[in-house]
Amino acid sequence: MTTYYLEYLKLKKKLRSWLGPIIVFILIMVAYPLTVEFLEKDLEKGFYSLLWISILLSMMFSTEDIFLEDFNDGTLEQIIISSSSFPFMIAKKIFIYWIMIGLPISALSFLFSLGITKDLNLSLFVIFLAMISSYIFLNLFVFGSALSLNKGSVLGALITMPIALPVLIVLGKSIIALQFGINYLELLLLLLGCLSIIISTVPFIVSYVIKAHLE
Amino acid sequence: MWGLFFTPEDFVQGNSYRIIYLHVPASFLSQSLYAAMAIASVIYLVWRVKLAAYLIISIAPIGAIVTFIALFSGSVWGIPTWGTWWQWDARITSTLILFIMYLGLISLHASFSNYEKADKLLSWLVIVGFVNIPIIKKSVDWWSTLHQSASITLTDKPSIDPSMLYPLIGSIIGFFGLIICLVILSSYVQILKRESTKSWLKDYV
Repeated sequence: MTTYYLEYLKLKKKLRSWLGPIIVFILIMVAYPLTVEFLEKDLEKGFYSLLWISILLSMMFSTEDIFLEDFNDGTLEQIIISSSSFPFMIAKKIFIYWIMIGLPISALSFLFSLGITKDLNLSLFVIFLAMISSYIFLNLFVFGSALSLNKGSVLGALITMPIALPVLIVLGKSIIALQFGINYLELLLLLLGCLSIIISTVPFIVSYVIKAHLE
Repeated sequence: MWGLFFTPEDFVQGNSYRIIYLHVPASFLSQSLYAAMAIASVIYLVWRVKLAAYLIISIAPIGAIVTFIALFSGSVWGIPTWGTWWQWDARITSTLILFIMYLGLISLHASFSNYEKADKLLSWLVIVGFVNIPIIKKSVDWWSTLHQSASITLTDKPSIDPSMLYPLIGSIIGFFGLIICLVILSSYVQILKRESTKSWLKDYV
């Protein structure tokens, strides 16, 4: 529990890291109606694609310097040589990031979705999708950020972006399925399956990657 | 050559279908090369075989070129047959993603001065990025797209006439040979580059 709290305090201190992505998300969503005609039907058409892309982008920004501080002050080395499990610590770190950034963004997606589509059922479904997808994206970008640990995170984000795209495709398909009343549960389960695989593998892969950096 | 000049004209598409003899082998190889890289990555990470690491980075530029050929020939073919040179459908977009992946791999490797570290990170990225390959392969079946589904499969009878099929198989084999030669040459250069300080190389040269 103390590690969770410590990670929370560390992230809370870095206001730019957790508030920045949320503000980016809000800005994109607010700017959207300004760029198209003010017709509700037109707004609805592209709304969900924009929502997923803005979640993707804000998750990309949030992982920008996830390991950088620990890398610079030697915390990562200390954790590796200490007896505590390194992958587990990474999983905790990702979880705290998700609580601080992913959850508020999911809640905001619900509000924006309700505001634009006025469809409560769809918007409730969007919360689940946003929660799952933000966790998946977060994990993937953490991997990217670990790859280019001290090389600037843009490179890492760019090379992991292609891996995140299949998730975007499934997200798009599940919204279409719900709108047309097709069975959307299997798509939701597919996403959950992806999430469970990612949660169980990414911390290990990231820990290997960071160890390779520190060797 | 056989495919380009001596095969009969297609009833619907005329002569433009001849691009198939470049497009199909290139697309096929763009995915096979990635698969080869993934296998090499596993070999490198598990058994620490240095040659596997050299192979990964020597395949990457060739893979990028082959994927570019597949995309380019596809879009040239698209003009007479589909009436458009680009369509954002599943197969084309996922191949474009593969192309970007190749470029990302090359740039990641280039950003490190320490080769050993770069090799390890690259191998991890190749393995994780392998997710994209089944998606490209299955994209024509999963989505309703403009791109036709596979004409040649291992299990079913091919849906393409023998007079066009055999030259196609020939061109695939020919292309494979060419690319394998290129990979061997490229890894030869890579070995010379990496081992330039070792004594065995000085004796050899």
